[in-house]
Amino acid sequence: MASLSEEVLLVLKKVRQRKQDGTLYLMAERIAWGPEGKDRFTVSHLYSDIRCQKISPDGKAKIQLQLVLHTGESSTFHFSNDSSALTDREAAKDLLQQLLPKFKKKANKELEEKNRMLQEDPVLFQLYKDLVVSQVISAEEFWANRMSTTNTENTLSDKKQDVGISAAFLADIRPQTDGCNGLRYNLTPDIIESIFRTYPAVQQKYGENVPHNLTEKEFWTRFFQSHYFHRDRISTGALDIFSECAKQDEKGLKSMVVQGVKNPLVNLLSLEDKTIEEGYGFSAAASTSNPNRTGKENSNSAIIKRFNHHSAMILAAGSRRGDAPNDQASETSSTDGNSRDSDLFQPPIKKVKLQEAIDYLDLQREDGPKTVALNLKKSDRYAHGPVPLESQKYTTSQDIINSITCIRHEMANYVPNLAQVLTSSAVSSAIAALSPGGVLMQTGTQQAINQMVPSEVQGELKHLYIAAGELLRHFWTCFPVNSPFLEEKVVKMRSNLERFQMTKLRPFQEKVQRQYLSANITGHLEEMLQTAYNKLHAWQTRRMMRKI
Amino acid sequence: MDEEPERAKRWEGGYERTWEVLKEDEFGSLKATVEEILFQSKRKRALESHGQVRLGMMRHLYVVIDSSRTMEDMDLRPNRLKATLKLMEAFVEEYFDQNPISQVGLITTKNKRAEKLTELAGNPKKHLAALKKARDAACVGEPSLYNSLNLAMQTLKHMPGHTSREIVVIFSSLTTCDPANIYELIKTLKSLKIRVSVIGLSAEVRVCTVLTRETGGTYHVCLDESHFKELLMFHVKPPPANAQSECSLIRMGFPQHTIASMCDQDSKPSFSMSHLDSTSEVGLSLGGYFCPQCHAKHTELPVECKICGLTLVSAPHLARSFHHLFPLEAFRETPLEELPADRFCHACQGKLKDKIVFTCPFCSGVFCTECDLFIHDSLHCCPSCINSQHSN
Repeated sequence: MASLSEEVLLVLKKVRQRKQDGTLYLMAERIAWGPEGKDRFTVSHLYSDIRCQKISPDGKAKIQLQLVLHTGESSTFHFSNDSSALTDREAAKDLLQQLLPKFKKKANKELEEKNRMLQEDPVLFQLYKDLVVSQVISAEEFWANRMSTTNTENTLSDKKQDVGISAAFLADIRPQTDGCNGLRYNLTPDIIESIFRTYPAVQQKYGENVPHNLTEKEFWTRFFQSHYFHRDRISTGALDIFSECAKQDEKGLKSMVVQGVKNPLVNLLSLEDKTIEEGYGFSAAASTSNPNRTGKENSNSAIIKRFNHHSAMILAAGSRRGDAPNDQASETSSTDGNSRDSDLFQPPIKKVKLQEAIDYLDLQREDGPKTVALNLKKSDRYAHGPVPLESQKYTTSQDIINSITCIRHEMANYVPNLAQVLTSSAVSSAIAALSPGGVLMQTGTQQAINQMVPSEVQGELKHLYIAAGELLRHFWTCFPVNSPFLEEKVVKMRSNLERFQMTKLRPFQEKVQRQYLSANITGHLEEMLQTAYNKLHAWQTRRMMRKI
Repeated sequence: MDEEPERAKRWEGGYERTWEVLKEDEFGSLKATVEEILFQSKRKRALESHGQVRLGMMRHLYVVIDSSRTMEDMDLRPNRLKATLKLMEAFVEEYFDQNPISQVGLITTKNKRAEKLTELAGNPKKHLAALKKARDAACVGEPSLYNSLNLAMQTLKHMPGHTSREIVVIFSSLTTCDPANIYELIKTLKSLKIRVSVIGLSAEVRVCTVLTRETGGTYHVCLDESHFKELLMFHVKPPPANAQSECSLIRMGFPQHTIASMCDQDSKPSFSMSHLDSTSEVGLSLGGYFCPQCHAKHTELPVECKICGLTLVSAPHLARSFHHLFPLEAFRETPLEELPADRFCHACQGKLKDKIVFTCPFCSGVFCTECDLFIHDSLHCCPSCINSQHSN
């Protein structure tokens, strides 16, 4: 039987399906039901196929569980065990509730992601229609190309960022009085998460009590009322569900104290308050701690204990992640209050630590930044571009002086003769050429083209450009061709481009020609495609030459 | 004075009345402005550059802007966030002016999280639009240095080795709320050769000192708005490259701008690749820049060809970066008394009135303070040196 190879999580007897008695098996990846007495399963559904589960309302006589699949079908199971029908069904329901979400995500997420992307971006949708629906490239290729570029961006931004715990998160809750002697606490999910991370005991209590015994609101009300939360943690007895948490914290603190601190410059045991009076310094005689402390001192020491515990946990969290990669780091990785940068960035010698305690970086002379000198030969080449070597015609300086004197002489004796400069016909044709619309003034015809080509044609052309751009982009990313995978891809892209040209470009071109548009609007696209073909051809011939 | 109690306290007002600070002396000249200029130029010399060193000119820079609760402080007018965003707009324009082949990205951090405002891009328009939109954002929560550096690092670590990877953090809070040990992140940044600089708005913070020291960046805390602007503009200049950066040949295309007319037989109207995504009515055009490799058309440079990925620039863009390689030497300061009487400034031909004048060491031309600032900031060449070469 198939169940032998799979892990069976739950077996429920006396479950009827379609008026037949049988047994319900919940396994690691599917749920199955087999009729009584038979060995095989008649009904088996993978968890990933199940869309949701439904249960019959509590008042009804029949206790049922219905599974609705993605395809729309549904299977109903009737729990007919007289004594334990309800608990059976609850057990099945709970297990399914835990298992279904795990499997659901794998199957659907990609499809939903794709649909969402298509809906959000009309350009992408158009591209999809142009390329995939008209069978230029297959759907898998389209998504393979798209997913690699966009998925990385999406996952980076959608991934929930790890968030630290603000030091003031409890203070930020800021209770407000609501007028009649009560307090209102505003809890956001961030604050709740911070409380759970700081006090894991509270999270445990939450998991145990909500929603079975208390509602969320009650739980938090109790939390804020309990002395655990408030400063003076005097234990009030076992009534408070949080008194256990206090005891757990004590245990944790004691274990940390036992571990000790590895800093050679700090001796925690010799720290004590030894004052005589205010301002008079320390007395040599150690005053032993009085066992009969007053109540105020007790609460003070409780607060101090809580501070120490909190700080110790923070420091432990800091070193927990980077778990001592090498011995050097572990020896000095104590990120306690007295650690300097020497712990993490320099060799761990006690001498260095002492050195750092003496030196102040600010008082030392500042070195300039280390720079790499620039080694430029012929730096005047940057001033003007490369000059081609041509044979120069040498003229003597006397020639130059003669020509200058000649020109100067002519300039001095120049008499303008405006009537003989140009013929009037030449002038009028020049003016005509230079006025707007003339032969030489054609560069400003931007609008003319846009008016000559109707806007639907322009719109279609735009879509063609987008589709061609996408294909060409994938084509050009294959170069330089380094691996056999890229070689295949290049050839495949070429065939894709040819197919695009056949199925989309040619019909469009013919349609445009039928409309008697004189402008050659597909010429540029064809040029781009031809450039791509030429590149592939050149690469292929080069490869051929290398093989020969 | 009687007016004092009626006027609102200065830090409560939204805008500062700067005209109250200036004073005129007996001759009617505004001493304050001149002092200001001198002081600025002195401070600039203090952060002055080096001779001919190798610079990282293709830069990928992320600017992290703190948007936490402390940015609502009004010690910069109208509040810190708005002042920062305004200066950032000026920074982005100046940056692309001086570094045409570089890219910039923007990240904001608030509420213990970091968010990417814009991706790394070489086109200033997107960044300016995003900065304008960010003015309305609320400042809430605590910033997270770790998350913002992490976010920037995810993209920067994929950049090629010959480019310079930089992050500039504008940090105003005194705390940061991080999910993990930030010293580990600093080690990672150092190994990836990412240079992080910080501009503080409140006070010096130890974590930032360590961060900038280890990664090789600079850390300054601004005194007032003009100092803030100076510190920000300091990052416009390309930083010296460190010894380990690789040298490689970079492939670039230099397209010619073609202008065709309708009468040409083979004029082909075409769409520009950059306009395909926009819904504006820009349509077919005849001229443009055609990529030499794949023949796609673009309307402006510098740009990365959308089809084949080739960097397209024009020669003047590269030439514009040359003045970083050959910086103009600082002029000598001489007191006015040492010159023969009645000299005129060579550049503006105005009578020299300042106490200190500047002399070019090569051509001994004399310049007044304002011309000196202009020559060093914008012109990058001495006007009399250039003219004297030509006449020879």
